[in-house]
Amino acid sequence: MSILSEAVKKYIGMQSETEIACDSVERGAVRRYAQAVMNEDPIFFADCANNERYGGPVAPPLYPTHLFRRPFGAPDPIQENARNPDFDGIVATISSQGLPEIEPLKGYALLNGGSEIEFFRYARHGETVKLTSRYADITEKETSKGPIILVITESEFRNGDGDLLIRTRRTQIRRK
Amino acid sequence: MAIGTKVYYEDAAVGADIPQLEKGPLTTAHLMRWSAAMENWHKIHYDKPFAIEHDKLPELLINGSLKQQFVMQLLTDWAGPDGWVWKASFQFRAMNVVNETLRIWGRVSAKRDGPGYGLVDIELGIVDDKGKESTPGKATVALPYRGGKPVPYPFVPPQA
Repeated sequence: MSILSEAVKKYIGMQSETEIACDSVERGAVRRYAQAVMNEDPIFFADCANNERYGGPVAPPLYPTHLFRRPFGAPDPIQENARNPDFDGIVATISSQGLPEIEPLKGYALLNGGSEIEFFRYARHGETVKLTSRYADITEKETSKGPIILVITESEFRNGDGDLLIRTRRTQIRRK
Repeated sequence: MAIGTKVYYEDAAVGADIPQLEKGPLTTAHLMRWSAAMENWHKIHYDKPFAIEHDKLPELLINGSLKQQFVMQLLTDWAGPDGWVWKASFQFRAMNVVNETLRIWGRVSAKRDGPGYGLVDIELGIVDDKGKESTPGKATVALPYRGGKPVPYPFVPPQA
C-alpha cells in the first residue's frame, strides 16, 4: 500500500521565497566550522596568496548551505518540544532549506540520502547569503525495511550581489 | 597532499588514486562539535538513548553532512589553489557510527580538455576501519594546464 498520499504530492514544484541568512559570513562562525571539520586551511582565516584571487578570506565550500539558522525572535523548537519525547531535534528551517515543512510527513524519521552540488564561487567573510529552493520531486521506494519516501530539493545559494555560489540537489529519506 | 600544492591537468592519470584523507576516530565530541558549528540538533548524532531506543539505530551516527565536508577537503586539497572543484555528488548508502575512523579516497576515472583548462572526473568514497564503503560519489575537478593560467574564478562551466 502506497504511503505517498496526494497531500504529499502537492508539494512537488513548490518554491520558496528568497530567504536571506540571518547572519552574514562571520569570521568566528567560520573558525568554529573549519575546526569542526578539521580543515584549518589559511584561506579560511587570513589574507594569503591562495585566497588573493577570491578577494580575501572565504568560508569552506559547503558553508553557505549551513547558514540558514533560526533568526532572533523566531519560535524556539527545542524549548517548545522540551517535554515531547518524540522530538528528534530537527529544526525545520535548517532541514527544509527555506521550504515549508511537508505536513503529512511530520513524525517521519529523516535521513540524509545524498547530494549533487555544483560550485561557482566561495562566500567571502562579511558577505550575506541568499537561498531559493524548490521541491523538485517526491517519490516512494520499496526497501527491505518497508517503504520510504525520497524528497528531492533543489536550491541555489547566492551572495548579496546575486552572484551564484552553489547549486544543490539533495535527497532526503523519510520513513515511518 | 599539503594545502596549496599545485597539481596540473597533465598530472592526472586515469586510474590513479589521488592522495587519501583520514579522519578519526570520530568521537561523540567530534559529532557534538559539528552539530554545534552548524546549529543542527538532530539527536541521532549525540543523544544515544534517542538514537538507539527511539530511532532504532545501532549507535550514534556520524553526520552525512560531516562526511561531505571530508570529501570536499579531499577534492580541494588535490585541486590546489589554481584548480576548482566544479561538481561533487555523494550517496549515503551505509551508516558510519561514532568512534569509527574514516578513510576518504578518490580515483581519476576520466579526463578531457575544457576551455582553457582540463576537466578530471573522480570516483570517490569513504570507507570505515573494516574497509566497508558508505559514501560512494563522483566529482569533476577543473585543473590548469602546466604552463597555463589558473582555472578562471569565479568558475564558469564549459558550454554543454
